[in-house]
Amino acid sequence: MLPSQAMREHLLRDMVLLLAATLVLGTVSNLFPSRRLAWWGAGQQPPQVGVDFQWMDVLSAEEIRQSLPGAVFIDARGLGAYGESRIPGALHLSYTELGTALPADLEARLRGADLVLLYGDTADADIEQLMSQQLRRLGLAPPYILLGGLPAWRAAGLPVESASEVAP
Amino acid sequence: MSMSDTLRNRWLHLVLALALGGIFLYAAHDKVLDPRPLVTIIWGYRLIPPQLTNLIAIYLPWMEVLIGLGLVTGIARRAAAGWATVLLACFTTALMINAVRGIDVACGCFSTSAQDVQNAWLLALRDLPMLAAAAVLTFFPPRRRPPLRSAVPRSSP
Repeated sequence: MLPSQAMREHLLRDMVLLLAATLVLGTVSNLFPSRRLAWWGAGQQPPQVGVDFQWMDVLSAEEIRQSLPGAVFIDARGLGAYGESRIPGALHLSYTELGTALPADLEARLRGADLVLLYGDTADADIEQLMSQQLRRLGLAPPYILLGGLPAWRAAGLPVESASEVAP
Repeated sequence: MSMSDTLRNRWLHLVLALALGGIFLYAAHDKVLDPRPLVTIIWGYRLIPPQLTNLIAIYLPWMEVLIGLGLVTGIARRAAAGWATVLLACFTTALMINAVRGIDVACGCFSTSAQDVQNAWLLALRDLPMLAAAAVLTFFPPRRRPPLRSAVPRSSP
């Protein structure tokens, strides 16, 4: 497909030059403190259980919800899913919101909470893990993540509420 | 006109290069301004050792910028298309692996939001036309025009 040896060599040379330019630009740009990342993975490590968050099973979470009024449940799913059904009393917070501008009243509420529990709709809870890491960076205690998310909560027959059930 | 001739059409190359270059520049915009959220997205793919995620987040956006500039301006266009082919093949493979695993990921294609989770199969399918375009630009370079001089017979002195 490549027409000639000369063209192949030309292509290879240009690709190496492009790679070199990438390395120079990336290295220089990473010297700016405002956007700096650690070179070798130490800057933003994956969230770790026991450090950034703890797991909590659905039955313990329900017990906490009923017995600890200072506990805050955070729904990390999309706003549409949150409107349809959620754990009673849960607040909504998205990862994007958390990364850019956490509403002041919500931040105050989280700081004053006895316990914060995050839940989503997947068993992996990737987003919730990232959110818990971000919350910890904001200086909050490591939150809990609901094991199995809302599907596990529903499967256990625990109550959910929808927007229409909440008084304005 | 054979398929190879069609794929080597200069106008086709120009259109593909401008479109693909524009997409790469648009995709790189947010990541170049602040690559930090990209780390969590790369980690979300669960394919790269955690120690390497920062390095990829540091350099990948600049590679995308240079690919975009190369394709749009025509400077080292084939090399840019070559790298675009490599990157898009990697992205598509990564998405397909996660699709097979049954994990929907935040692709990090056009946004650095880790919450921008979409169906991995659809994301992989979306990459395929771009991969095809990059491959055409790389492996079917346009034919050079014959120099005008050779077309005009020289008059004898």
